[in-house]
Amino acid sequence: MITVDNVTVGYGTAGFIKAVDQVSLTINDNEILGIAGESGSGKSTLMRAVYGDFSTGLRILSGTVTGRFVDATSGQVIEAQSKNFAPLWWDQLSYIPQGSMSVLNPLMKIEQQVVDGLPARERKGGSHALRQRIAGFFSGFGLEETVLDAYPHQLSGGMRQRVLVAIAAFVNPRLILADEPTTALDVVVQKKILLMMVEIQRRQRNSLVLVSHDLGVHYQITDRLVIMYRGQIVEQGPTAEIFANPQHDYTKNLIASLPRLHGKRAVESMGVLA
Amino acid sequence: MALLRYIAGRLVVYVLVIIFALTVLFFVPRLGPTDPVEAMLAKVASQGAYMDAAQVDALRQSLSDTFGLNGSLLEQYWAFIKRIVVTADFGPSLSMYPTPVMSLILNALPWTFGLLLTSTLIAWVLGNFVGLMSGWKPGSTTSRIMEGVAICLYPIPYYILALVLSILFSYVWKIFPLTTTIRGAPWSWDLVTSVVWNSFLPAMSIVIVVFGWWVISVKAQTTALKEEEFVRYARLKGLSDGRILSRYVLPNAILPQITFLALQIGLMFNGSLITEILFDYPGLGLLIYSAVLQGDFNLLMGTISLSVIAVATATMVIDLIYPLLDPRIRHR
Repeated sequence: MITVDNVTVGYGTAGFIKAVDQVSLTINDNEILGIAGESGSGKSTLMRAVYGDFSTGLRILSGTVTGRFVDATSGQVIEAQSKNFAPLWWDQLSYIPQGSMSVLNPLMKIEQQVVDGLPARERKGGSHALRQRIAGFFSGFGLEETVLDAYPHQLSGGMRQRVLVAIAAFVNPRLILADEPTTALDVVVQKKILLMMVEIQRRQRNSLVLVSHDLGVHYQITDRLVIMYRGQIVEQGPTAEIFANPQHDYTKNLIASLPRLHGKRAVESMGVLA
Repeated sequence: MALLRYIAGRLVVYVLVIIFALTVLFFVPRLGPTDPVEAMLAKVASQGAYMDAAQVDALRQSLSDTFGLNGSLLEQYWAFIKRIVVTADFGPSLSMYPTPVMSLILNALPWTFGLLLTSTLIAWVLGNFVGLMSGWKPGSTTSRIMEGVAICLYPIPYYILALVLSILFSYVWKIFPLTTTIRGAPWSWDLVTSVVWNSFLPAMSIVIVVFGWWVISVKAQTTALKEEEFVRYARLKGLSDGRILSRYVLPNAILPQITFLALQIGLMFNGSLITEILFDYPGLGLLIYSAVLQGDFNLLMGTISLSVIAVATATMVIDLIYPLLDPRIRHR
């Protein structure tokens, strides 16, 4: 679906600060790909380059990010470089931001914020039918229909984050990018939201890229994992393999730093939970 | 229930503010050196009437009676509050005796209100439009020019601008009248054109300065909003610029501007004192000015009370309608 080929991305117009250094990876159809790494490792920058969000001085110095999407209705194949992705936003790709108080427009009802930006194929039927479908979709996230008539400040942090996931998923895109979608939430709410994301992905059979610094999150839901360190990919492979047998020292350190329960590695006890 | 309590609370504060202001208004002019009775006596004397000491004393006494200036301050104060609160009567004007203050105010009010409402609204609409555009597209030539103009105009005191305008357009180029003279029968077309013609320069002096202020304030709002996460999110949804501006930036930028507008409309009752004096415009400002010059307590009290009541009312109205505009206040 997306092929990232030897790409170097960074910031600046006059000078240039590298944030992602000669990275190659593939995002396959129908998979959940995790990108892990510490703050400043370049994972968010890489994600912006994949989404095609080249504002605030972000640019690709060398290499390519190529997307290949099969349109669900027409069956047409769309191939484009990520810098030309903007027309595909909220159609072939959607995005789940890190939830904060100000991601949703404070003066607009939730229903309108779901509808705003929807591609034509998801709008079919009258506004009443559309509302029914949104309400049905929301109920799958444990969100009542009254949420549609609420303003963002009336919702709790966990509800707002579920709304953001639902908004991105309702688009029914081929690729969803999620940037630290559960970071600000407590672990119980976090787990619920992660499970919803998995369920949606299995149902829509599209691709989900999950950026998080939290290895526990990756362990729970990703199929494949990419570990980034100082702008480079130091390790990638099936998630289970990486946790079972980490190759790179940095990965070993990350896994070793997970909290332990009864002297065992925390990931093992989480495995019991999951 | 919560709503009723909210409204009742606002009304109590409203009444208290007005009573407090009336109290201050009553005492402050009486601390000044001008004595309206002596001023009236001097006026009579200057017209050439000869009176001996006893006659002067008698006249002084009867003037004090009619003006309501007898008794101790406290007695005067109670009489004053009773009269205003119960009958909304500010008594006769002392300088234009016996015309009631209320009828002087009612004559001046439409002039001030018409002039200031029109110019404030024009400035508000233009200023917000230009400010929004220059905040949204800060690089474009038009917004740079408009913003430059706004920054140059904004610091000019409105009376200096009024002076410059009247020198340029009434004296150097005799386009507009220097002082206000209204002609035409009531409700005739002549009257309308005459009013617009005479009000043009005073209105411009207000529009231009206030315009600059709106541009600068809404531009700051817009610039800050553009960096908000919900605007970035809307952009990453692939929404068009027009939609982001009209549904995400504009409503959020305009809310505080509505508050300022309502406050300005309240302040309007002061009149634009110096503008009205400069153009000899028959509004409240000119009325306040002549009341001060002639020590006309009643007139002063009437005009200023009215403006206090107007500001308090405007503030209360904002408090009452703001919940309709901002869901964050409506649903708590």
